[in-house]
Amino acid sequence: MDSMMYNSLFGLHLKKGDMTFLNFTMLMLGKYSAEYSTSFFWKPLWNSIRMSTYSSLIALLVGGVIAWLITRTDIRYKKFISSVFVFPYIMPSWTLALVWKNVFANSQVGTGITGMLESLTGICVPSWFVYGIFPCSVVMGIHYAPFAYILIGGILRNMDANLEEAATILKADRWRIIRKVTLPIVLPALISTVLLVFSSTMASYAVPVFVGSPGDFYVMSTMLRSLYSSSYSGQSYVMTLVLVLIGIGMLALNQAVIGKRKSFTTVTGKSGQVSYIRLKGNKVISIVIVVLLFFMAIFPIISFALESLCEVQGDYSTFTLKYWISREEIGGFHVAVGKGILFNETILGALWGSIKLSAVVSLVVGTAGFLIGYGVSKNRGSKLATLLSNVAFFPYLIPSMAFGSIFLAVSTKLLFLRGTFLLLVLVASIKYLPFASRSGASAMMQLSGEIEEAAVIVGAPWRVRMTRILFPIQKSSFISGYLLPFVSCIRELSLFILLTSSGTLITTLLSYFDERNVVQMSNGINLLIILVVLIVNFTINKLTGASIDKGIGGN
Amino acid sequence: MPEIILKNISKKWGGFTAVENLDLVIEDGAFITLLGPSGCGKTTTLRMIAGLETPTSGEIIIDGKTVFSSDKGINISAAKRDVGFLFQNYALWPHMTVYQNIAFGLETLKWKKPDIEKRVKEMLETMQIEQFEKRYPAELSGGQQQRVAIARTLAPRPKVLFMDEPLSNLDAKLRGEMRTELKRLHADTGSTFVYVTHDQLEAMTMATKICLMKEGVLQQYDPPLKVYSYPANRFVADFVGNPTMNFIPAKVRKISETKADLELFGEKFVYTSKEKLEFADGDVTVGIRPEYLPISEEGEIAGQLKGSAYSTLPAGMETTVRIKVAGSLLSSVMFGSLDYKVDSDIYFTIQGSKILLFGTDGTRVASGSVRKVE
Repeated sequence: MDSMMYNSLFGLHLKKGDMTFLNFTMLMLGKYSAEYSTSFFWKPLWNSIRMSTYSSLIALLVGGVIAWLITRTDIRYKKFISSVFVFPYIMPSWTLALVWKNVFANSQVGTGITGMLESLTGICVPSWFVYGIFPCSVVMGIHYAPFAYILIGGILRNMDANLEEAATILKADRWRIIRKVTLPIVLPALISTVLLVFSSTMASYAVPVFVGSPGDFYVMSTMLRSLYSSSYSGQSYVMTLVLVLIGIGMLALNQAVIGKRKSFTTVTGKSGQVSYIRLKGNKVISIVIVVLLFFMAIFPIISFALESLCEVQGDYSTFTLKYWISREEIGGFHVAVGKGILFNETILGALWGSIKLSAVVSLVVGTAGFLIGYGVSKNRGSKLATLLSNVAFFPYLIPSMAFGSIFLAVSTKLLFLRGTFLLLVLVASIKYLPFASRSGASAMMQLSGEIEEAAVIVGAPWRVRMTRILFPIQKSSFISGYLLPFVSCIRELSLFILLTSSGTLITTLLSYFDERNVVQMSNGINLLIILVVLIVNFTINKLTGASIDKGIGGN
Repeated sequence: MPEIILKNISKKWGGFTAVENLDLVIEDGAFITLLGPSGCGKTTTLRMIAGLETPTSGEIIIDGKTVFSSDKGINISAAKRDVGFLFQNYALWPHMTVYQNIAFGLETLKWKKPDIEKRVKEMLETMQIEQFEKRYPAELSGGQQQRVAIARTLAPRPKVLFMDEPLSNLDAKLRGEMRTELKRLHADTGSTFVYVTHDQLEAMTMATKICLMKEGVLQQYDPPLKVYSYPANRFVADFVGNPTMNFIPAKVRKISETKADLELFGEKFVYTSKEKLEFADGDVTVGIRPEYLPISEEGEIAGQLKGSAYSTLPAGMETTVRIKVAGSLLSSVMFGSLDYKVDSDIYFTIQGSKILLFGTDGTRVASGSVRKVE
């Protein structure tokens, strides 16, 4: 396809399979026209960088402040805050984007759907507030704030409170302590957070599609998809390459910064007694946070439920259960929708597909992570162990979209893989494996070697040592190693969107309905995904004590 | 120089009481140790005086100024109490050099730069750590970190210095050296020291007064030798001293104001006290320090008791002999090296005027001497 286009554009005689740099020069260097390069490459790149910067700062600020409040002050409702605050991370990233749309969309903007705010108060917010870089950054920032909270909170919790008390005794005021003692010590975690959120945002596809594209705000990932689906696959691979390079750059930066500050990691506290700072205006702050959390974490669920129950968007007098329970084909859209969600074979099939995929992936990845962790902990301090902890984040940093498109390229050569379930398992496993092995290793590292040696002495074989001793002791950490890939996989869209047809997985189906404006269905499906994720998360948490934070490496 | 007064201080966490109705007066320039087993509330007490912990009720006065009062609603923050605090794990800031660590408090007080430099140099010299000025804490040994922590605490010249088990992370030899230095430091600075430890030897050797606590309740507050010789109750007697005091069940019957008949190991004794004996006849526990049970050759002196050697633990300078007698196992400490064959016969006497009697509730009811009735 590319070759035919280039031949006609530039009067060349390229055949399929010829090597050429035209994809690079056309996309990046204005070979076709400067305007083309600007609007299809440089502008999206600049947008991506701006969006990623803003969202990492938002995530850092929100997550960091909450982490500090929870670990250092006597703020109220701690239990509620810390358990609900991770919701936005557990839920699919586009959840908040959809909520944003549901609330702020109005008749003056874009497709003219009436949002909740307009139908309740009549207020129409301006276009930049609904679509574009502002909502993208805010939504991504809030989505990754729990991630920042888990990383920073973990360090704050482990940090010896005496370090701060020593400064108090030496008459330093609260602000000076934060500036001179607390911040420098958590700095490595702050930097890791920024870099991880930056790269994740750079890679995100769903959010800019939902609240960016309708406002003509395009970023690298959305442009990549649109180039790919317009059959400019060569140029989409150029974009992939650029995204991968940015990921590598971020990783290198992370290593450079953390490597220099090695002495910091030796700070682990043992002071048992921590006295909390008495917050001024505790009541007000606590309530404000709880209200904000309600909008970030609980309101989305309500919002999706409501939207899936309205015949006319935003008009709550047109309540109907049709989109859930209709046993007949639902008409009135320019695409086939099928029956109500609960009886819709396509939707239920896709949901089942997603669950099946996530279960298989989490089994593969969790088990592999456990074993790799075991191998690494047996060789503490060896080169392999260092290498593992260094590359752990890497596949995480490669944008899912880019990752998907790399595998797409591979599968065009390996036809037996193309479009198969196996391909999806393979891609997802590789994507989540490093993270799982890192959490497996950290769980194993916490066990002293003597624990296993004591079992070796009494002659317990390897299998018995694993199943009867090591696994039970760190049960919740290891099960977290299974839970994290499951949750990540079931809500993953961008990794799979290029690799499979829309009906295979629940997320791709959601994207299909959303792109075609079948709002009730997309909201309903979203509710379905969130419920599955939350139910799985809480069941496993209650049964085993495993949790997402443990999977990420918090405490 | 400041005096510290605690009035009826309590600290509760939910249903758990860490410290209960504690009254304490710490005199100017004293070296007080808060002593007790882990979980007895000693660290909590120290942290409450320093302002790192808020008492549930009571009043704390430092240098005539009320820094905490639950009735008057006063709670002055740790930063404004003018105290120094030495943490168990030193709490050196890992991202600052030795110099920066020591200078931090002075910078906070807005000292002038040359003054800070002068004071830090002075502290580095005093603690003999000049050569580590530019190093980070992670690059120092435990003992060196300890010195840096002391330097950092002393740099702003606090009038009161609080220490929370500062020597527990050091090896035995270094711990001994640091004890000497801390005692010397106390003499040199003339500050008031309040020191938390669970090591009775540390408390005995360093303090001017020991405050012994158990489960949040003050047991005894006296100079070390008084605590050693005249413990207020059986718990104190048992906690202080190594090897521990021997406790033997006995029966007592008063025969005059200061004399009583004592039945011990199935033998008859006469107990004589300098003070009036004020307790009911019946069961008591006799407390005897190991050094008051000297071993002698058979028939060497009068009033001998016979037992058998259970085990002998020679330590070079002194020897601890465990003696089995009438169902009890006693410890006796003798100067020099001795060795007894297991289960061989041993003859010993009960000596001295500090033989204690404890009532059934554990409080000490008398101190005096015993004489065996032949």
